[in-house]
Amino acid sequence: MNISAYIDSGILEEYALGIVSPQEKQEVECLTQVYPELKAELELIEKALEQYALQHGVPVPSRVKDTIFAQMKFGPVAMATEDDGGTTETSPDVAADDEVRSVEPQTATVHPLWGRLAVAASVLLAIFGAWAAYQYGAARDENEQLASQVENLNEQTNTLQQRAEYNEALAANYRNPDVKIVQMPGLEKAPNSEVVALWNQKTNEVLLDVRNLPAPPTGKQYQLWTIVDGKPVDMGMLDDDFQGKLLRMKNSSPNAVAFAITLEDDGGKPSPTMEEMVVMGQV
Amino acid sequence: MATQKPNYSEEDLVDSLKQNDRVAFEYLYEHYSGALFSVITKVLRDNEKAEDVMQDAFLKIWKNISSYDPAKGRLFTWMLNIARNSAIDAVRSEKRKPGMDDISENLDRTDQNATYQPSPSTLDLKALVDTLRPERKILLDLVYFQGYTQEEASKELDVPLGTVKSRIRTALKDLKHYFKI
Repeated sequence: MNISAYIDSGILEEYALGIVSPQEKQEVECLTQVYPELKAELELIEKALEQYALQHGVPVPSRVKDTIFAQMKFGPVAMATEDDGGTTETSPDVAADDEVRSVEPQTATVHPLWGRLAVAASVLLAIFGAWAAYQYGAARDENEQLASQVENLNEQTNTLQQRAEYNEALAANYRNPDVKIVQMPGLEKAPNSEVVALWNQKTNEVLLDVRNLPAPPTGKQYQLWTIVDGKPVDMGMLDDDFQGKLLRMKNSSPNAVAFAITLEDDGGKPSPTMEEMVVMGQV
Repeated sequence: MATQKPNYSEEDLVDSLKQNDRVAFEYLYEHYSGALFSVITKVLRDNEKAEDVMQDAFLKIWKNISSYDPAKGRLFTWMLNIARNSAIDAVRSEKRKPGMDDISENLDRTDQNATYQPSPSTLDLKALVDTLRPERKILLDLVYFQGYTQEEASKELDVPLGTVKSRIRTALKDLKHYFKI
């Protein structure tokens, strides 16, 4: 990553001033933890602003301090009010595409005349022949329709089965205490993106669960990275067909502190293109 | 401004605050309440209200100190955000826009207030004000002290957004240089 270009972008100043979007905030908090140079630069900016604010300090009437401290209790009291951000999970609706087909019964009414028995018989025969032919054709059509319905059902069963397998695999990972769940929210580039890395810290296997990522343009592919000792490490390319399944990636170093995904040319790059980072999450 | 107070490093201060230590909170108040109060008065422009908000903000800092994460930034940045947001919330609850009707008057008032402070920082402040060009200082103060976004500041002062951004960045560069840190 090009540190000085990132510093020059002015985003650290905006962060220190408190005027960044939630995505940018997340990005800066991650990156400053990963790159000591960024942390140092942010610290400089914050210190300068702090000095500036302190120079502008105005005296507070002493009664204010008295009122405040009268309401405070000190000592080792557990009074932490911590926000516990609960995660809500939404499961996709399974849309059932049911088609109801009805076959209309065909009836033919015939009035035979005794006087022309033969004619009538032949008429009857002709009618029966026509009816039979019609029935045969209808049956064949119906047969084809049924065949395609069966095929559809098979497909549906397959997707349902894939989905069930995916859900089971997800559940197994979430229940496994060895698996570290690393949420990667979308950054400025693709704010609605959401990817989760499932990192088994015993075996260091990494699976990716792509909940939402924009489809990559042709010639482009997503690439996963980890940050180890302040350096990005390639974790492999994401299969273009990444929705609704767990993608097996390269094994991680035990010292990874963050995961991130960038959009790169097909086949990937040896080092990430910072401006094309779509999601990032700290371990 | 008492002298027997210990001089904490930021780390020690945060540790002691997280242990809910009275001396640390007294130190915090002595050191930072003036700066926080100045931000609150700049947003509110109503001294009585400002005192209430100051009280709220400091109690919030005390109650939520356990959720402060040093990895995400300095303590003061965190506290200033709490103070500024409390003040902005108070203004919003009055259904009034944050005081913007007269910035220059506001600036004058700040500087006057500062001269009442019998501290050596008065001289520093004069020098500092001279260091920052007025068109940069106005923007920096609007954004940093009053919680304006750069877009809002651009509209309010009728200055292109790009200019707003570059002026604020230059102001920060000047500040870094001025404080030689």
